[in-house]
Formats: sequence, structure tokens, C-alpha cells
Amino acid sequence: MKLRALLSLVLAGGTIAGASAALAGGMHSGGHGHASLDFGKPAKAADAGRTVTVVMRDNLFEPENIAVKAGETVRFVLRNEGAFVHEFNIGTAAMHAAHQKEMMMMVEHGALEPDRINRERMKMDMGGGMTMEHDDPNSVLLEPGESAEIVWTFTTAAELEFACNVPGHYDAGMVGTLSVRPKNGDKTS
Amino acid sequence: MGNPNVRKAAMATLVAMLASLATGPAVAGTYDLVIDTVTVDHSGTPKQAIAYNGQTPGPTLRFKEGEEVTINVTNRLSESTSIHWHGLILPPDQDGVPGISFPGIAPGETFTYRFPIVQSGTYWFHSHSGMQEQDGAYGSIVIEPKDREPFKFDREHVVVLSDSHDHSGHRILSNLKKMSDYYNRQQRTVGDFLRDVEEKGLSATVQDRLDWGEMRMMATDVADVQGYTLLVNGKNPEQNWTGLFTPGERVRLRFINASAMTYFDVRIPGLDLLVVQADGNNVQPVKVDEFRIAVAETYDVIVRPTEDRAYTIFAETMSRAGYARATLAPQDGMQAEVPTLRAPDRLTMADMGMAHEGMDHASMGHGSMAGMDHSNMAGMDHSKMAGMDHSKMAMGDKPDPFYAPGSGLTPKPADGGKFLSYADLRAQKPLYPDREATREIELRLTGNMERYIWSINGVKYSDAEPIRLRYGERVRFKFVNETMMTHPMHLHGMWSILDTGKGKWDPVKHVVSVAPGMTVYTETEVDAPGQWAFHCHLMYHMATGMFRKVIVEGGPQSAALPN
Amino acid sequence: MQRSFGLAVAVAAVTVALNLPMLGLPARADVMDNAMFTSVRFDQLEYRAGEDTNLAAWDLEAWAGGDVWKLALESEGEYALRPDRFENLENQLVVRRMVSDFFDAKAGIRVDTPAGPDRVYGVLGFEGLAPQWFEVDGDLFLSEKGDLSARFVAEYDILITNRLILQPLGEINLAASDDREIGQGQGVTDVELGLRLRYEVVDRTVAPYVGVHWEKKLGESAGIARSEGEDTDAARVVAGVRLLF
Repeated sequence: MKLRALLSLVLAGGTIAGASAALAGGMHSGGHGHASLDFGKPAKAADAGRTVTVVMRDNLFEPENIAVKAGETVRFVLRNEGAFVHEFNIGTAAMHAAHQKEMMMMVEHGALEPDRINRERMKMDMGGGMTMEHDDPNSVLLEPGESAEIVWTFTTAAELEFACNVPGHYDAGMVGTLSVRPKNGDKTS
Repeated sequence: MGNPNVRKAAMATLVAMLASLATGPAVAGTYDLVIDTVTVDHSGTPKQAIAYNGQTPGPTLRFKEGEEVTINVTNRLSESTSIHWHGLILPPDQDGVPGISFPGIAPGETFTYRFPIVQSGTYWFHSHSGMQEQDGAYGSIVIEPKDREPFKFDREHVVVLSDSHDHSGHRILSNLKKMSDYYNRQQRTVGDFLRDVEEKGLSATVQDRLDWGEMRMMATDVADVQGYTLLVNGKNPEQNWTGLFTPGERVRLRFINASAMTYFDVRIPGLDLLVVQADGNNVQPVKVDEFRIAVAETYDVIVRPTEDRAYTIFAETMSRAGYARATLAPQDGMQAEVPTLRAPDRLTMADMGMAHEGMDHASMGHGSMAGMDHSNMAGMDHSKMAGMDHSKMAMGDKPDPFYAPGSGLTPKPADGGKFLSYADLRAQKPLYPDREATREIELRLTGNMERYIWSINGVKYSDAEPIRLRYGERVRFKFVNETMMTHPMHLHGMWSILDTGKGKWDPVKHVVSVAPGMTVYTETEVDAPGQWAFHCHLMYHMATGMFRKVIVEGGPQSAALPN
Repeated sequence: MQRSFGLAVAVAAVTVALNLPMLGLPARADVMDNAMFTSVRFDQLEYRAGEDTNLAAWDLEAWAGGDVWKLALESEGEYALRPDRFENLENQLVVRRMVSDFFDAKAGIRVDTPAGPDRVYGVLGFEGLAPQWFEVDGDLFLSEKGDLSARFVAEYDILITNRLILQPLGEINLAASDDREIGQGQGVTDVELGLRLRYEVVDRTVAPYVGVHWEKKLGESAGIARSEGEDTDAARVVAGVRLLF
């Protein structure tokens, strides 16, 4: 488990086949890389206090609402049981909106097909050293039948969404609420 | 099954049994429709219209996938009538085309349709007799699916677009036969000539007029019938049909173009339109700002108005001769700004299939893609296609590949952003495995505008042999539009898989619009024995000969023709 | 005279009769494209005011038929007021057949019954839309006396606006031989020019107009006219209504 989680962080998608072919690591823009985000940071599976399984279907998540506490480390087990490529991405609504534009570019350049991830194409240099590699630590992109894990530590209280930003999916309703409640004893959220 | 009333052809029963295997016993519903005349006032001039159950548009029939429906249709008109269930897959004797499916419904008679519902989505029904559809004989069908849909919505509205004329359908046809430009009040005038001279110079303008005059064609011939009052759910722009929503809700709008002759460009300023279904079949959700709906097409669109205010549903005719308008609002009586009509588009020589002569390639700026012949595209390695070029077509700033390069009709979003193209439609769940077509049939869409005779391969319906298909084959139809009009081609009984070069994701439709100067391919899995209609859905093109009978030979014996 | 009026009444009766079949268009989709249609069009129905004589005049074309074959009645008349007489009264019954996308060929009979001597002709001709939007109509006439003559008419619509339309019209008549009884001399017999400005008030159905009409006899025919003390040319102001049913 530990190894797999690490792999998912380190390997940039590429040629991993099979049920655990998670794509994680590096950012499209190369901007914030593996650094932690405002609301949390990637963690090791061993640190996870609990496991939440999220099933991806066309085009929805089961469950659609998840609540965690600030400071909690959660292991998300993600299974794509749909017929299309789906993403599981933790972020704010604004982050998702921005990411949807990136995903649209991936579609437009053939890196993302409806039911297939074209991993070779994702590595294409878009100019300035930018690639379309989908490797943020807070997200995973799965082909039909694939599954993966994300282990995440939520540092501060926030109202987040977990979403699929494959073009059209978010608007079709493939988005859930991820509510990070304040730590016990915290006065503000 | 066990319903003693169901004495349908064995095929129908078989289909229903298959459906019932999946869902348990089939539900059975009985519906009654009475067709009669009513008086309506759409334009300020009251006129006689044709209505179902006293209303035009008729009621929304709500079916369930897997249901066995019984529909009693009573004809209170003084002439024969019929109902065609547009887009529904059903036995050939239930399809409602007089002279092809059945003899029609005589005045005073009640005809009972019985068929299983084997699909889901948004469809419609209309008379297939004479010009009754133009006169108001249409209504909507909503079929609830067995399974959960791949999109969420909190509320839905059926949005029926239609065109109502002060003249009866018969009179319009008669006038078109006397004078084919009878209803075109957008012809170029002396003033237009002077304006063009100022903009383009004298010699270019004279040459342009000479080019069109040589062909005896009009650059303004975008729609052959104008003078319509455009309606949403039977309401004109002033009557302003209003659909309610609560801010934050996802609202599913089921657009149906029940017009006789009118294409619409539809937008809702302030809202993104998530297209989730086309012609009743789910498509992979695609977000656009505007879409063109051909006559007889349906599009299901989800919008999510978050503000506590009204939004205008604005549907301009493709000819810009008028608009239909409705409102989405948190409560009745609220209104939003109504945009002004855009200036009409002119046809170009590209629409005449003459793009090579004098087309300004430089102005296109992206020639190779837009200029591609669709036949080449379809012939290309699909995997490469999917990876490369088609994705460019989906981008908002590229011209629609389903219009001739340089075409005056190429859709342009009014408020910027993205205009839906057929190239953006991808089937959510392909109905058939992708396979090579077994043969190709070329259908040249032809016509004589001056005489108002429309035809296929130069032959009008009454002079033509039926198209014979064999059960089990996959036929590739090659539509070559040799006219200057846009033709929404509708095959009854079987699906038309529109070749957009996406292989298994090619969208599955019942109407495919073919723009001037274009060649478009569809493929049909021939899985429905019997005889079917195949025609242009522009009412007066259909009536004057752009129509064929299709006979599907072979297949299950039990589904042999009733006549 | 009596016969002339009789013919005029017959024209009206046929016109109405031709319009009836459209009421019975079949409802079956499979035969719609074979339906019969009718058209009645008064290109001119006008009053012509000149220096000497004022005239009532008409130019009617009515047809019934399908896409390929049509039966058409073409009628022209000029009725002089004071003294009351038909200066000109001409009725043609022709069968028209589509021969190309834009042209019909026609054959039939023409009967002239003006105040003077009558004539009956066989007619062979064409009509249609020429390139650059000219409506043209050409006929060859062979009279009962064996005289051959021809007529060519062209008209053009200039759209000031989509409803205000200026229509120039030209007509030329020629004869292969003299028929002095009806004032026809060999060669070009006469020309007519018209310019009418109409406004389409009700659809294409009713369009009142004003304009000018000028006609001139030429060559041998002009000589005949002069010898009989008639004018060889006339210019008149016209006012009338164009009708299409």
C-alpha cells in the first residue's frame, strides 16, 4: 500500500497498466509541483486514519457528500466503474473551474479521449517546457475499470468539492461536496 | 406480457419481451388524442389551426422506457389525418405515414396505435398528412429512461419551437408554386447594391450580381418561407412563455424544433448551455453558448441559473427574419432584456458548391481543416482522427466543418464563445458496434428553386423507385447537397449514425441537416423490416418531392408488411 | 362586340374554374408532389390616360397544372373609352410543357376579336426566366390567312425596397408578310415600352401601381396607320393594380 501510494506520487502516469494505474505527480504548468495546497497536502497511506471509497460512474460520484475534520488524513480509494475516463480531484470550485480549461486542452490535443488516456501525448511539450501531464497530487485520472488511491491530509477547515473535470462531466453533475470541519476546540473555521 | 389487447406483430412483442426481461413486467399506458380545429391568434390575425386535445402544440406525452403504449387517435377534422411518432423505433405499421405505413385516419374514425417503447429521451409527434403539421398538428414526447441518466437536473421544461403563418399550409405551397420567392422579403434591393458598391467597389458588386444572376439564384435565399410568427410552446414573443426555476437548480430544457420550415439559432444570454442529448440520444455533455436546431431535431440542454433574475431564451431564425422568445425566471412576470436580431447572413458562392471560384482562402485562415472533404475524414484512421484533428473542430474559434468553407451560413456565436457543431456531438452510449458499412448509397439533394420542385438525385418522389435495403446490412448514405438550401434529412424507423469521424462515438440521430455545398455521410444499421419514409423535413420540400420510400427486405418473417 | 364581351366573360369563368382544384389537394404524402396548382395573375389591370384616347387595359395569365404540364390562358385587351371599342382583344389558350429548369415551351391557339377584323392563329412559343433575371416570352403566330408573325416580350423587376418594385417592360412585334386588313406590314410592326412602379400591399396578391406606357408603330405598319389617318405612336400615363391569386 505504502509503495503504491508513493508510486502514485512519483510516477508521472506513463505506462502503468492495470487496476492501479493512477496518474499523479507534477503540475501542467509546472507551477506548484508537489507542494501542499492551502487546504492540505499529500500524505502517506500509513498515516491515514480512515478510508473513504468513492465510485465513479457516468457521470456521477458515489457517495456525493464527504465530511472530514481539519487535521485528518484520509485515504481515498477510487474506482472508475463508468464507461468513460473520469477524474477525482479535490479542490475549491475556483480550482476546478481553472482545471477544466486545462482538461479541455488535453481533449483538444488528443491527450484525453472519451474512454482512453493517451499517455504519450500527455508528455507532449506544449512550449516553454509545459506538458499536459496530469499529475497533481490532489487528483487522479482513471480509465474505465481502473482504480487508484489518494492519501490526503486536510490541514484547515474549508468547503471543498471533489470533482471530475473531464469536459462536460462537472456540469453534468459529477461533483460532490467535501466539507472540512474545524478541529475540535477551534473557534474559527 | 399477459395483456390481451396487445395483438401486435411478433417483432413488437419480441422487443417488448426483451424490455420486460430487463425491468420485469412491462407497464402499459393508454392515451387519447383527439384532433380537431381550433381558433388561435399568434400574429394578431385570428386563424383556424389544427390541435390535439384542443391545444397546439398538443400535450406532452410522457412514456416510460419499456412501456406498452396504446394511443387512441380520433379524427374530428373533415379530412384524413395521421400521427407520426417522430424518432420512435416501432413496428412499420405504427409509424403513421399515410400511403406507406397505413392508409391514414379517415374523418370521424378512431385509430388505435399500439407499440412498445424501446428507448428514452425527448421526441415529438406530428401529422404526416398534407400540410396539417404547418397548421398546428404537433406535440412533444418525453420518455423516462429505465436507468439513471448520465447527468443531473432538478427540474425540466419542454421547449417546443414552431413557426405559425397567417396563411394555411396549402396556401403557402400553392403560392410557392406560383412564385417561388413569394415569401422572401429579404431580397437584395437597389439600396443594398449601392451599399455594396461603397464597400466593395463597383466592379466587384456588379460581378457579384452577375454571378448570382447568371445562376438565377439569390444570395438571400436562406429560408424559402418567411412571414412566420415564431412560437415557444405556442406563445409568441410578446406572450413570452415563462419557465420557472429556483436559483442554483439545474434546469433541463428539452428543445424540440416542430417548425415546418424554420431553423433556429438558440441562446440564453448569461447562461452556459450544457448539451446532453441530441435527437433523444444522450451525447457526452458539451458546454456551448449557442446552438442551431434544424427542423425536426431535438436537443436537451441543462442550464444552471444561479442568480435571482430572469433570463431570455432567444431563438433567432437562421434567416434572421424573426425570433422566438421565452423567459426563464424565478417567478412569473419577470423579464430579461431581449437581444436584437442580427443582420441576415448572405449565401456565398461556397454555398453553391463553387468555393474554388473566387473564394478568399486567406480570409479563412485555417483552410486545411475546414476545407477537408468529409469523405476523406471518415476514411482516415479513426484513432488518429480522435487524437488529432477532430479536437480542433471542437474549438470555438474554428469554423464548423459541417458548412462549406466560406459558407455564408457558418454559425457564429452572437455573444462570442462556442457554437455547437455536429462535430462536438459524441454518443454517450453507442447503440451499435462500430463496423464497416456494407455498401454506400449516394443521395444527391436536388431541386429546382424557380419552379419549387425538390427532389433526390433529380427525381421527385412520385417518379422515383423506392430505395431497397436488405435487413442486416449497414448502409452508408452519402448526401450531396447540390442546392442552396439546408436540408434536414429524416429517415423513419431506423437510426442515422452521423459520420463525424469519431468511429464508435459518432452521434446517433433521426434528423441530419445537410448544409449547402456539403457532402455528409450517415450510416444506418438496417434492423427494421418493412417500408419507411425518408425525406427532407422542410414541409414544402417534402411535399414537392424530396422524399423517398425505403423498403427493408428480408428479416424476421413475422414483421412482413401488412399490405 | 357581343362576341368580344362573351369572350371576356369566358375568360373570367375559366379563371375562377381554374382556381377551384387547389381546394382538393390530396392529404396523402405519397401524391403531394403530383398535386395540381393554379395561378391567376393580372400583370396589368390599368387605366391609360393619353392625349387623345383613354383606355382600360389588361394583361392576364392564368394557368392550371402540375410541374411539367400546364394549361394556360393568356389574355390581353385594350378597351377605348369614347368611342367605346376594343382596340385590341386577344386570347390565347396554350399548353405549356417544362423543357428546362427555367423554360416552358408552349403551343396553342390565339383568337383576336377586337373591334376590327378577327383573326385566329396557331401559337408556338416559349417563356421563362433568362439569366440575369429577365422574364421573357417569345411567340410565333401563324394566322388563318397564312401570315407569319412573332412577338418577344421581356420584363425585369428592380427592387427599390422589397415591396416597392419598378418594372421596365419591352415588347417587339414582327411580321413576315403584310396583313393590311389588320394594319400589319412586313418587318417590325411595333414596339411597346412600359415602366411601372408598384407597391405590394397585401403579400404578392394586390399591388397598385403607376407608370408610363409608350407604343409606336414602325415601318410598313406605320405607313398603313398613317394612310388611315391614325397616330403611329402614343404615350400614356397609367394607373392600375397588379393581382396574383
